[in-house]
Amino acid sequence: MALRHTSLRNFCLLLRSQPHSRSTSTSTPRSSVSPIELSHFSALASSWWEPHGSSRLLHLMNPLRHEFIASCLTSHPTASKHNTKSLRYLDVGCGGGIFTESAARLPSTAKVVGIEPSREVINVARAHACQDSMLLEPGRLEYKHACIEDLALPQKVEEQFDVLSLFEVLEHIEKPAPFLAKCLPFVKPGGWLVLSTIARTWTSWVTTKLVAEDLLRIVPRGTHDWGQYVNERELRGWFGKQDGWGRDGCLRTMGVVYVPGLGWRMVERGESWGNYFFGVRKD
Amino acid sequence: MHVWDALSSESKIDFSAGENGRKNTSAIAYMTENPNLTRALLARLESLEPISSFENAKVTSIDLGPPQDSPGTLNLSSYPHVTTSSSTSPLVARLLIGADGINSPVRTFAHIPTRGWDYDRHGVVATVRLASRGGSHSQIEEAPKVQDNVTAYQRFLPSGPIALLALPGDYASLVWSTTPEQAARLKGLDPADFAAMVNAAFRLSVVDVDYMSKMPSGQVDELAWRLQATDVPREDETKYPRIIESVQEGSVASFPLRMRQADQYVGERVALVGDAAHTIHPLAGQGLNMGLADVASLVRAIEYSVSHGGDIGVQGNLEAYESEMWMKNNRMLGVVDKLHKLYGVSWWPVVGLRSLGLGTVDKFNGLKGWMMSQAGG
Amino acid sequence: MSTLLAPAACQLPAAIRISTIGSNKAFTVLHRPPPKYKAHVPLTNIERGALAVGSAVISLVHPRRGDLIATLGETTSTPYFIYRLRDAMLSSPTGRRILRDRPRVTSLTMSLARLRTFPPNSVGRAYASWLDRERVSPDTRDNVRYIDDEECAYVMQRYRECHDFYHTLTGLPVVVEGEVALKAFEFANTLLPMTGLSLFAVVRLKKQERSRFWSTYLPWAISNGLRSPEIINVYWEEELETSVEELRMRLGIERPPDLRGVRETEKEARKAAKERRERLRGITVA
Repeated sequence: MALRHTSLRNFCLLLRSQPHSRSTSTSTPRSSVSPIELSHFSALASSWWEPHGSSRLLHLMNPLRHEFIASCLTSHPTASKHNTKSLRYLDVGCGGGIFTESAARLPSTAKVVGIEPSREVINVARAHACQDSMLLEPGRLEYKHACIEDLALPQKVEEQFDVLSLFEVLEHIEKPAPFLAKCLPFVKPGGWLVLSTIARTWTSWVTTKLVAEDLLRIVPRGTHDWGQYVNERELRGWFGKQDGWGRDGCLRTMGVVYVPGLGWRMVERGESWGNYFFGVRKD
Repeated sequence: MHVWDALSSESKIDFSAGENGRKNTSAIAYMTENPNLTRALLARLESLEPISSFENAKVTSIDLGPPQDSPGTLNLSSYPHVTTSSSTSPLVARLLIGADGINSPVRTFAHIPTRGWDYDRHGVVATVRLASRGGSHSQIEEAPKVQDNVTAYQRFLPSGPIALLALPGDYASLVWSTTPEQAARLKGLDPADFAAMVNAAFRLSVVDVDYMSKMPSGQVDELAWRLQATDVPREDETKYPRIIESVQEGSVASFPLRMRQADQYVGERVALVGDAAHTIHPLAGQGLNMGLADVASLVRAIEYSVSHGGDIGVQGNLEAYESEMWMKNNRMLGVVDKLHKLYGVSWWPVVGLRSLGLGTVDKFNGLKGWMMSQAGG
Repeated sequence: MSTLLAPAACQLPAAIRISTIGSNKAFTVLHRPPPKYKAHVPLTNIERGALAVGSAVISLVHPRRGDLIATLGETTSTPYFIYRLRDAMLSSPTGRRILRDRPRVTSLTMSLARLRTFPPNSVGRAYASWLDRERVSPDTRDNVRYIDDEECAYVMQRYRECHDFYHTLTGLPVVVEGEVALKAFEFANTLLPMTGLSLFAVVRLKKQERSRFWSTYLPWAISNGLRSPEIINVYWEEELETSVEELRMRLGIERPPDLRGVRETEKEARKAAKERRERLRGITVA
């Protein structure tokens, strides 16, 4: 159930090129986003930042995202330490801005761009950022009500990003491959695409579908399509076919498990249990 | 450290450095006077550049910031605004740390309730000057001066424990927990009688201490007579603190003893440390240690939050501090409360059992080592 | 007896405390420590026990052996009891003054000639006439020898020397019957074991005396001994001019039935009966 929450909050339907069961809209933004799901998450927007609200577990997971990213950035032999304000982040499906804000606060960060297709949710993110003067520093944090295809393709290296993050997004994408392909040009050479999602295994079916949706009903039925979950092996296979990605062993995965009473824990080779992190470097 | 029970002289426990299994440990604990600690902290603050401190300033109010509706502009309505007597505009705190004592205004601002009770006891504190040990020892036998004043002494009297903790030089810090009436009488004594009363409390029988503490004056004379009549074998002389020669002027003070535990140590943009979070009976000398441990834990939580891009004022980012310290402090509060109750009893079966217990503990160095590591922090 | 002990029992540890301070682990028969005061005889626990049993047995056979009763009193007063009595003195301003001044009752400090000039109802006068009537002297009291703590030894000495004042206060005579009644009172008041053990002397009483003890004097002794404050804290030297009645009132002690008077009456009656019998016999013989 905890796992379900996590993926639910940071929902972002960015790409649904050929929707079957859900009606689609191409009004704003351009891409295909289900209005039903959009309204669903917009309703949750107001509680996004409540300290004991429903997204508490997501808040708790956030530090691990940074630890995973840090482990990725330092893993390449030529990696330099990012002590100065130099890193640029693109947070795709940023939701209320939990990861976006925290990335913007890091001393090594130059700029963070967060994009999100739900107007209500992006407004929550914008309003919340106003509570921290640090985030209002010019150029540090920028929110866009947009999908990835709304963004202009970068023309030069300076417009690309050191880290492109897709946290709890992929499981909502019907056709992940074309979506990922659209993200690739935004990553700077030597930069990383980092994501977290849920593996399509019987354990994740029990926790996210049976327990969360059917038994405890903390997630409305049908919110998730277990069949849309992506396994680490599938991602690994797909990136293996991409030219210029993940050389020198720069493709990293890490399982992440919520242990009641202890919190989130990273578990090596636990990527098939349910939630996992995935990072791959552009050569 | 030498601890004993006024109702049973056989009942004692000695703690010595080296028993706690830690190598290269030369002391169980260190004593320092508050001014020294404050001076060191201020010096450290000065070495950290961007820190401003406000001297001779009093907090006059703590409120939330005004509501802010216009989008896109800075909204500090969830930040505590602290108004002080020395500044015109309020200080806006991302994180307001309440280290403001048992009646913490920060805690009141955060609407955090506390639980606990008042002991019907007051703590009388003073800084005293010790006389040198009696002249019968030859110069050769005399231990080096440095080693002479390093032992802490604590005696459990039925009205509460009295403790003498070594300070540099010939000084020592006195903490005497006793009834409010007796505390008032002690504070009213003239300095010589006060010193005599403290000497009596460490050396004489409970009956004598009781009687003398009710005398309006004349303790000096009474002590001289009773010391003569009380049979203290020579070889036990080091089991008692050195005779107190005088009391430092103006150092005698008293405060009511209480036990308090805040329901929470953290709130939104608020963290409580030290006495603001918990107040403890001084018999085990743990108040400062607990406060320092709080601060160390809070610093760890803040460091983690900063290194992971968190807003250090957000309650969720402070909870690591609370979950690390709350239960730990609660246990310490409970243990010390039970000790206070155990030693408040004069009924002989209880005295017998606690003597047995203390005697048993005294024989197990491993157990004592563990206790020292708990108390020494 | 357990009920008698209860009020003071809570102070037991204080007694244990002091008793252990004086004890020396190296103390054996061959290695006797030096005396702590003049007349002090340090004893091992075994010696003290043996002395207690011996003195108890012999003094039961010879109740007039005051020295043995004194030995019994000293050897059974530790642990605890003498310390309790000392602590009782230390808790009272007058008791503390006595311990500090250490007054002794002897024919030198108590001039009988002077006391005889006091008003008839005064403590001093009553004490003097009591000594005269019973033909005893303040100097008949032994020195304490077997109590290790010097201050406690004085407490025992004081108790012993003031014993005659107790007679004065209660009016109980020195005959065995009177002594037993007074010991019962002292036991209830001081809790010293010897005073309790002395009650075994009740077996030596005549049948009539014994029933009088059970029905009259023992109930009086217990209720008065428990009710009144510690009599050891009376500074007798300062009360010599006080009237007996007033002192008794202050201490809350009722005067027991006049034992001497009762015995006189009985004796008279017995004598009269005997004379009657003699007369009758004379008549028959004649």
